[in-house]
Amino acid sequence: MSEFLSPRLRRGDMTFGEKLWQVSWSLVFFISLIAGVGFLMLYSAANGAWDPWASRQMVRYAVGLGVMLVIAMIDVRQLMRWAYPIYGVVFVLLVGVEVRGSIGMGAQRWIDLGFFQLQPSELMKVALVLALARYFHGASLEDVGRPFYLVPPMLMVFAPAALVLKQPDLGTALMLIAGSGVIFFMAGVRLWKFGVVLGLAVAAVPIAWGFLRDYQKARVLTFLNPENDPLGTGYHILQSKIALGSGGVFGKGFLQGTQSHLNFLPERQTDFIFTMMAEEFGMAGGLVLLALYVVVLIYGFAIAIRSRHQFGRLVAIGITTTFFLYIFINIAMVMGLIPVVGVPLPLISYGGTAMLTLMIGFGCLMSVHVHRDVQMGRRGGYEEP
Amino acid sequence: MTLNALRRLVKKDAGPFLYPGEEIRPSKRASRVSLHGTQKRHVEMGRTRLVVAAGLFACAFSLVGFRLVDLMLLDGGEPPVTTARRAATAEFEESRADIVDRNGVLLATNLPTVNLYAHPYKIGDPATAARRIVEVLPDLSFDDVHRKLASGSKFVYLDRNLTPREKLEINALGIVGVDFEDAERRVYPQGALASHVVGATDLDNNGIAGLEASLNETLSQGGEPVRVALDVRVQHAVREELAYAMAKFRAVGATGIVLDSKTGELISMVSLPDYDPEHIGDATEDQRFNRATLGVYEMGSTFKLFNTAMALDSGRIGPSDQYDVENPIRVARFTIRDHHPEKGDMSVADILVNSSNIGSVRMVMELGTEAQQKFLDELGLLDPVSLELPENGKPLVPSPWREVNTMTISFGHGIAVTPVHMARATAAMVNGGALTPVTLLKREADEVPPGRAVISPQTSQRMRELMRMVVTDGTAGKADVPGYRVGGKTGTADKVSAAGGYAHRAVRTSFAGAFPMDNPRYVLLVVLDEPQSTKDTYGFITSGWNAAPTAGRIVARIAPTLGVFPSFVPQGPVVRPERRPMDLIQAAAARGTDAIAD
Repeated sequence: MSEFLSPRLRRGDMTFGEKLWQVSWSLVFFISLIAGVGFLMLYSAANGAWDPWASRQMVRYAVGLGVMLVIAMIDVRQLMRWAYPIYGVVFVLLVGVEVRGSIGMGAQRWIDLGFFQLQPSELMKVALVLALARYFHGASLEDVGRPFYLVPPMLMVFAPAALVLKQPDLGTALMLIAGSGVIFFMAGVRLWKFGVVLGLAVAAVPIAWGFLRDYQKARVLTFLNPENDPLGTGYHILQSKIALGSGGVFGKGFLQGTQSHLNFLPERQTDFIFTMMAEEFGMAGGLVLLALYVVVLIYGFAIAIRSRHQFGRLVAIGITTTFFLYIFINIAMVMGLIPVVGVPLPLISYGGTAMLTLMIGFGCLMSVHVHRDVQMGRRGGYEEP
Repeated sequence: MTLNALRRLVKKDAGPFLYPGEEIRPSKRASRVSLHGTQKRHVEMGRTRLVVAAGLFACAFSLVGFRLVDLMLLDGGEPPVTTARRAATAEFEESRADIVDRNGVLLATNLPTVNLYAHPYKIGDPATAARRIVEVLPDLSFDDVHRKLASGSKFVYLDRNLTPREKLEINALGIVGVDFEDAERRVYPQGALASHVVGATDLDNNGIAGLEASLNETLSQGGEPVRVALDVRVQHAVREELAYAMAKFRAVGATGIVLDSKTGELISMVSLPDYDPEHIGDATEDQRFNRATLGVYEMGSTFKLFNTAMALDSGRIGPSDQYDVENPIRVARFTIRDHHPEKGDMSVADILVNSSNIGSVRMVMELGTEAQQKFLDELGLLDPVSLELPENGKPLVPSPWREVNTMTISFGHGIAVTPVHMARATAAMVNGGALTPVTLLKREADEVPPGRAVISPQTSQRMRELMRMVVTDGTAGKADVPGYRVGGKTGTADKVSAAGGYAHRAVRTSFAGAFPMDNPRYVLLVVLDEPQSTKDTYGFITSGWNAAPTAGRIVARIAPTLGVFPSFVPQGPVVRPERRPMDLIQAAAARGTDAIAD
């Protein structure tokens, strides 16, 4: 007991072994479970073959797991110290994409590193969380109450969001803004200020409509009435609903999904993988996966609660929120609850950057958990109470 | 790491998560943690807000979960498949019902085609687009297409009923804003053969003539084909012989009707000239005019059939009663005389066989105007026929009906009826005396409405004999066909000239007959409009020289088709199976007759 408050723990003087022991292995287990479901579905998406998707995804997960554990070992104070530089680097990369990035699927989102196609907008999700957490870590409620105090973090959010929107990637931009909103909320920003921002956003909708690309407009219009163009823009969502409807309670069985295997369902290995899973494993399978996600989210919240420092709490909440947004946007999209936006299903959809982003994020979360009891001053250093 | 250190680590306070959810328990140590200042307030407020955020997330997840159950178990309240299917076929109209003849041969059906339309406001370069379209569809004029495309309106038809090849070529042009619409074109595989019966449709497949117009409501609902009474084999023979007669006698028109006297079904109805229903727009008014049902004509001597039947049916005049045919009858400013004047008196039968006008008038004068009016009314000659066509002519009847009218009507002048009237009344003469409603639609045996008796069966039997006599001994000799026992009556009516009064050498000849005469099943009516004389006719233009032989040729062709069995008078010695004791039979018959007489 007394050991808990010991300066040693508060200073974070832990050996490597102790840190490794502190890692929440049950969380690692659940994450791996979800990733395992993902491997199964990718195996099915390739009509029962490990190539080309499942095998590569497994390698990526293994790499991601390593990255996560390495980050978990890093002292959370180091993360805080490097938060701004990391944000700066990712921001520069984002600008770099704008200047000279490769074009894929009609959008400019990638940087080719030779061995890896880097998508800076994904990394920005984590970098932004770290930077905002650092900004609000030392803020008193009085600070947060001053409107001008909120201007720098607002810039930190909207500058990358604008860049991402220009790529154009509506889904990621919305995720950046929504995730940051939750951090602002957790930092104690008054609710009426959200109201103001929300009001301004609503007022800006007619103007923003003019800036949207035709395909984005079509997606929104299709969302409002997917049946008006069943073979064109409404095709994705209609096929998705048909596949879901055909799944039933317990599904058609592994590798037996007709809609997905007969190529009616587009993008079944990435954005619409949940549909395929629900077709093959039915409503029960879908709900089980949702439950697994909920467990991971609960871990995130628990870690946030247990954290003794504002930075850790905000990082945990930020990562958890980002994770939540991935899940919610993807699943709501394939069910036709929101317009079609390109957001993958976390840990399951095929894709390297998203997987890496998530594992880095979980690494930060784990670091917060391992170092939950360290004491941090306003500037991140150890302060004697 | 020593064992001691490990044991210390396993101690719960500083331990890792041992089970999921352990960390969510309210911390017992929370109160012992001394926090102060901003840190403490942060933590307190942060925890409240954390719960709020968690609650929001939970709501969102519930929403997704409910939606999942909704979509997968409750079908999401919407059937996307059927919606898509409906959208794909929304523009396609239901097929119009086919029209078939009594044996199921197609008379009218639908051909799927495409219409070409454009959204002019989407077309960037109307001149180029128009030029390229006209290259594929040379029938269109460049100016017309260009004007349409440059109009900037939302929608305009460019062409209708494209062939698959034309559609392919237009498609290959790849002009944005030009598109196709599924459509149906009404086609008539038999061409003009039954044009006046079947009729025609306009561009939008609405009936505008014939059965297409009168049955438009039924046809447009689709479903089972409409079966008409026509037999295309008979129709073809009738039309071909009429066309031949028209050409040979240089007639301006011809009408032919074959009527089933028992059922009232019109087996054939031809009115020449006719038209191709698919190009009714190009047809002249004369071609579109249905002489069989819409035209009303003075029928001339064929009307004497009814005059004779009326006389015989009255019971006051017998077939062998004699009438003076030598002296012409003067009434008002008219003088009624015969074409072939005869001396002395003539029997009722001979009056019909020799077609005496004077005799006919003397017969009707004995019966009176009212009797004639009543009889013709019963024969349905004074009111329109209720046929399933929009084209139904109303008879021209004298008003007031004076004695002079009665006189002229007795030999077929002064009253104008349609050929269908004529055929129906003739059927009543030979079928046992019943006037059966006529129809263009096929009747099953149990659907035949009961006819209205207009003459007695005895009179009808007498009429059969007289009509056969007209062919064997009278004016209609050229209508006879060996074996088929044709009977009938010829008629030659002077046409009314444009200047008023009757034209001199313009006649309408007709033959109203039936076959086989011992039990007539089919009534045949042939009318030729303004036949001219030829070398073969020795300058005659009367019916016996043109309408009668045409009727004969028609019977020769259609009787076998209709299943009429020919009978020939045996030419050689007949082998009889057994000689009966004829005297015994005759004696028995004589006794029987005596018994009845007693």
